[in-house]
Amino acid sequence: MAVLVEMDQIIKIYPNGVVANDGVTFSVERGEIHALVGENGAGKTTLMKILYGEERPTSGVIRVNGRAVHFHSPQDAIQLGIGMVHQNFMQIPSLTVAENVVLGKEPTRRGLLDRKAAIQITEELSRQYGLKVDPEATIESVNVGMRQRVEILKILYRGAEILILDEPTAVLTPQETMELFKSIRTLVKQGKTVIFITHKLREVKEISDRVTVMRGGKVMGTLPTHEATREGLARMMVGRDVFLEVSKPLRARGEKVLEVRDLTYVSETGRQVLRGVSFSVYAGEILGVAGVEGNGQTELVEVLTGLRPATGGEARVLGTPILNRSPRAVRLAGVAHIPEDRLTNGLALTATINENLIVDRYFRPPFRRGWFIDNKEVRQHGQQLIERFDIRTPGGEVPVASLSGGNMQKVILAREFSSQPQLLIAAQPTRGVDVGATEFIREQLVEQRNRGTAVLLVSADLAEVMSLSDRLVVMYEGQITGVFPEAAKATEEEIGYYMLGVKRQSPEEMEAYL
Amino acid sequence: MKLLRKPALREFLRILIAVSAALLLGFFITLLVSKQPLEAYRAFLLGPLSRFNRFGDWIEESITLTLVGLAVALVFKSKQFSLGAEGQILLGALVSGSIALFVPLPGYLRVPLALVAAMGVGFLWGYLPGYLKAHLNANEIVSTLMLNTIALKLYDYFLIFHIKPPNAGYNASATFTKDGILPSFVPALPFLADLRARFMSQTNITVMLYLTILAVLVAYYLMYRTPFGYELRMIGANIKFARYGGINVKQAIILAFAVSGVFAGLAGAHLAMGIHTKLIQNISLGIGFEGIVVALMARNNPLFVPLSALAYGYLRAGADIMERSSDVSREMVLVIQALIILLVTAEQVLPVIQQRVAARREAQPATSLAEGGH
Repeated sequence: MAVLVEMDQIIKIYPNGVVANDGVTFSVERGEIHALVGENGAGKTTLMKILYGEERPTSGVIRVNGRAVHFHSPQDAIQLGIGMVHQNFMQIPSLTVAENVVLGKEPTRRGLLDRKAAIQITEELSRQYGLKVDPEATIESVNVGMRQRVEILKILYRGAEILILDEPTAVLTPQETMELFKSIRTLVKQGKTVIFITHKLREVKEISDRVTVMRGGKVMGTLPTHEATREGLARMMVGRDVFLEVSKPLRARGEKVLEVRDLTYVSETGRQVLRGVSFSVYAGEILGVAGVEGNGQTELVEVLTGLRPATGGEARVLGTPILNRSPRAVRLAGVAHIPEDRLTNGLALTATINENLIVDRYFRPPFRRGWFIDNKEVRQHGQQLIERFDIRTPGGEVPVASLSGGNMQKVILAREFSSQPQLLIAAQPTRGVDVGATEFIREQLVEQRNRGTAVLLVSADLAEVMSLSDRLVVMYEGQITGVFPEAAKATEEEIGYYMLGVKRQSPEEMEAYL
Repeated sequence: MKLLRKPALREFLRILIAVSAALLLGFFITLLVSKQPLEAYRAFLLGPLSRFNRFGDWIEESITLTLVGLAVALVFKSKQFSLGAEGQILLGALVSGSIALFVPLPGYLRVPLALVAAMGVGFLWGYLPGYLKAHLNANEIVSTLMLNTIALKLYDYFLIFHIKPPNAGYNASATFTKDGILPSFVPALPFLADLRARFMSQTNITVMLYLTILAVLVAYYLMYRTPFGYELRMIGANIKFARYGGINVKQAIILAFAVSGVFAGLAGAHLAMGIHTKLIQNISLGIGFEGIVVALMARNNPLFVPLSALAYGYLRAGADIMERSSDVSREMVLVIQALIILLVTAEQVLPVIQQRVAARREAQPATSLAEGGH
């Protein structure tokens, strides 16, 4: 196969002195799917932004089809057929799909946008590459999966031959991921080349032809995917052995910690989101909740943590009712919560690490003394947690915003794990987290379980819920439709049927295991 | 360079640069509009220090500005944009003034009672929009502006129909008696008698000076050392996080509005019982809004509020003097003043310069590379 793009000895040093790329050499062959993997901050995105003309390299040469090129802007790159789909879509929500696809290069009739032509163009591209979209729907009304397809259509319309996809699966459900992979294969069959940035090794194995691993701004190696193992790739990424499967000692479950009975929730718009959910979580077990996202898991967690009112039903933690109580009351009942949307809910970015670590305990001794907060205590407490959870920071008095993504996560984990909860509710705890941190989070969840905490784990990552959970339930359309008393013995395929609503157990069948 | 990493120092440097730039700009404008630019600008820059009574005016004004600035800083810190200081000031003045006029208590009881009552009414006039915001999600900008109007009309109504002496020619109360006036900040001690007499004859600097220093410390400790202050700051930093973490967001928001009102009410008492020693119409003259500028310049940090108030008060005093003693029109004076505030409060002055410099440094190797490649 012919080499299409070559990046030779690329060095990128940011003005603040951060070396993002340190002599990177990287090449892509025509018609391949090339996975680019590495932990957060390994320099993958920077390298691709350089290839896309968004960043300029400090030194180094880029060759396309053997000719040295210099990009001053993405326009230069797109002219040579290089297009990039960012993690954050650049779309106008109030315009239609078709209008967004042609935006910036609109077909016109008498100087005005030709809507019909735009729709036709979009439909043709959509058919040709198997990227299903609804050209006349507005962007704000379509789901994330479709918005991503729109983004891909946009760059195809501009004549991209090489498509750079920056962590495209981070926002997708497993089903949408499958669909995206199908589209990628179609694209490649029609002669396109795809560079796929990710840190999910399962996806690397599934979709790519070759894989390049980056760590600390350098390339650790490029190899054909069929020669790579997940363990081997993880070792290259992290620089040490990584245990992808958490080993978990057998443990007899203890007393009932959380009991939920006939929980219902109707959203503000009148949609019945939770339809009579009942289950229990016992001390020393992890109960996994699997399901395609949007089947009520998010609302379940928010109702149980006091962030949303329940419409009906009951929930008790060790006998204390927790429904329709304030988040404070729920926490005082012994509940810790790792929220799904961590940057919006879990942290105050402009506040310091120390301040973020006390939000659930500042009003109690030893932090509160009389009318005042004991700042010395707050600092010591911060220092302890920074050490215990290995948060990489110059100190506890810096704003959380100055930390890397992984370390921000650790601040939340440090707070929630250190509150000595009776019940830990973890929503999508490893989403958007790199391999090293994922390993750490999984270990900590199991560690909490081993110490006798009841853990409710909600995750869209089926492999994760299956490997971590002792017991597993599937949620479908606001109900629990299946329970697997021994998660380890279930198969992915079997659970998949329940997730898609093809199979369901009767309430009598489930009763004994909930 | 290492020193530059200290945020406090960097902040100071930032303000220094901004002020210098603004003063320079102000001078250029003066050059354009004045026949005697040097004298005019000197009046602006040095006027407030040129006479003892002018110095007094500056300090009095700064005391009011500090109290209002504290009020605004507290509520802004929680990212609640209450503009209600003006109304709280008016009611604080009305209530303290009425007590000063009509409550037959000796001064050592009447004055404290008036101050406490002013703070109390400020609290209530803040509680109201706070409650509306927290429980009914009423936009605080709208509700506080409406409440300002109500307060103003209440003030005028009571002043004109109940407080003004029946035979008075203009809308003002009688001057307060000694028992209703804040005492001079120089204590009545024999060996200070001369100093006291001198200050009393030319200025109205009262014990409010000490109370204001105390207020600064109280506000600072409240904000940075108490659970309430923590709640306030977390709500300001990320209200969703505050709620998720278990903070009673509604209660904290109401308290933020109300506690802010306490300081504004005290400012009103200072206007009535310190500066004017009677109730007059338009007693506040929009100083509630100037408090916003003071708080912004201080980045809502109570410790910086008095500095920012002194600086702002100085500008105002200087501008007044320039207007009176030179050929520069009031409009131009206000333009200069606004420019200075604009530059000082511009969030990004130094960061932008840093970015520009960095960008230029970065651009150079990249361009040389491009040339090499062609």
